[in-house]
Amino acid sequence: MFKKIPLVFCLLCITLSCGEDDNQNQGYSPTPVNIAIPAIFSQLLPAPEIPANNPLTEEGVALGRALFYEKNLSADNTLSCAGCHRPNEGFSDQRRYSVGIDGIAGFRNSMPLVNIAWNTNNKFNWDGSADSLEEQVLEPVVNEIEMHNTWPNVEQTLQSDPNYLTKFEQAFGTTTISKDLIAKALAQFIRTLVSGNAKFDNYLLGQATLTPLEQQGLAVFLDENRGDCFHCHGSPSNPLWTDNDFHNNGLDENFTDLGLGDITGDPAQFGLFKSPSLRNLAYTAPYMHDGRFQTLDQVIDHYSEGLIFSPTIDPLMKTVAQGGVQLTPQDKAALKAFLLSLSDPSLANNPAYQNPN
Amino acid sequence: MFKKRFFLPILVMFFVACDKNDDQPQNTPVSIDFSHSFNQQEIDSSNFNALDYTNGFGTTLSITRLRYLVSQISFTNQQGIKTIVKDYQLVDLSQDNSLAINDILLPPGAYNLKMRFGFTEATNTSSIYPDLNAASWNVPDMLGGGYHYMQLEGRFLDPTNEPFIYAYHTISAVQNPGPENTREDTSIEIDLGEITVTQDATQINVTMDINQWFENPNLWDLNILNGMLMGNYTAQKMMQENGQTVFSLETNTGD
Repeated sequence: MFKKIPLVFCLLCITLSCGEDDNQNQGYSPTPVNIAIPAIFSQLLPAPEIPANNPLTEEGVALGRALFYEKNLSADNTLSCAGCHRPNEGFSDQRRYSVGIDGIAGFRNSMPLVNIAWNTNNKFNWDGSADSLEEQVLEPVVNEIEMHNTWPNVEQTLQSDPNYLTKFEQAFGTTTISKDLIAKALAQFIRTLVSGNAKFDNYLLGQATLTPLEQQGLAVFLDENRGDCFHCHGSPSNPLWTDNDFHNNGLDENFTDLGLGDITGDPAQFGLFKSPSLRNLAYTAPYMHDGRFQTLDQVIDHYSEGLIFSPTIDPLMKTVAQGGVQLTPQDKAALKAFLLSLSDPSLANNPAYQNPN
Repeated sequence: MFKKRFFLPILVMFFVACDKNDDQPQNTPVSIDFSHSFNQQEIDSSNFNALDYTNGFGTTLSITRLRYLVSQISFTNQQGIKTIVKDYQLVDLSQDNSLAINDILLPPGAYNLKMRFGFTEATNTSSIYPDLNAASWNVPDMLGGGYHYMQLEGRFLDPTNEPFIYAYHTISAVQNPGPENTREDTSIEIDLGEITVTQDATQINVTMDINQWFENPNLWDLNILNGMLMGNYTAQKMMQENGQTVFSLETNTGD
């Protein structure tokens, strides 16, 4: 008789714990999925780092994709993530400043959202203000000049949509929609946005040939006495084409936007911004954190003759005293040709990235 | 009766297993911490950007970045048996988790500790280390290829007391930068001397005196040699000479 008491007590505990969340489906089993890693990435880079508490699943990625294109994330149901991170614009925005639902423009150019899974330093945004992708995706929804919504409103809106109830149950085993699960799903989808099929990738794989001008441009890029681009923007050995770090690249003498320094409060970091990848420059104009340069020619001119000294100038801007690296017109043309070979024409039309809604 | 038949062999096996272990010295944990100083002043990333240091040439300078690579970290016991505990470590003062190697297990005893600043010629092959590729630690093939040894960057006051920038990057010395370059191994073997691994945890502290890069034996004039040093063969050889004395050892044994 007494032996049965502990057994009954355990069964009761299990039964009670199951009843705590009526919306939690204990038996759900989403299908694990891996990022489609380009061949050249597999050769040269570590595997992407996926947070243990947000593994990629087919259902989670599908939900994130639906949410990425979901205009109901914004307060007036007119703006989705894709509104400012457009697939055919390298998941960036060709407007200098994206415009929010109230018609107000931001003050920075939209950052491209590709190869984020390899951002191993876990600093996101131009100013490093988010420490994870899951954190990063939360901010635009409530930003007053972007989607200008509230999370309770977003949760309520999605909660009333039977399609989303099904998708959340499939992805996370619950029909209780929360901002944390929305963020997880969005992050899962964004981690699958991979760009590794540029002409230069295929050149590295022995499947394409560079033109003489592109080859000259690569030499300029890698020459410490000319382009000296490789310290911040990768190389044929680092096909991310960014160091994912923060630099003051000599744009201004005085800063109206403090960048990383605005987040850390450290004056030594005033005017530092994250190095963007050089992939897909053909689609991601304008350039720099504030989109001040409309063309690649203007960007190259900046590094050639336009560098400006300021107290936080990056030591890698070695020729700032001369105003830049002083490229010849031929070097400039070659560098531009090479940079454009890093653009991936298959990105925009990848079926896995299209609007499913 | 039957139960005892099963129990007895298991008991015998247990004691036999214990006897074997008794013959083997137990491995104990060893950690290597990397610390940094400038003429006895300790430096970590919180000291970055401060124009608080004066090098052997008399130039006031700051540090904004310091990353370097050590490889072939080895312990050689008194029988001459060498154990490489880590192939390489990229030390980055802005990344706390790069400032120590913690997963070493060694039997107690006396050892000689060595490591190498940079990669040897044989191991300095372009593109073969994915983590270093992602860290943009590469050297372009036209500059000899392979990987950087060190990136020491910061600012200094020029003769008019105006701040200027420096990028003291060490790599394999290269002659004729370009497609026909020839590379010379300028990595540095660091013999840190004898250490004793005790039966308790052993903590080894390897210190870099940054000023040595500017002072011994070559006084370094940042007004002249402040950038574009990767393709400067003479500068790389001078860096190699100055690097001979930058590392030293402190050992703390657990009580």
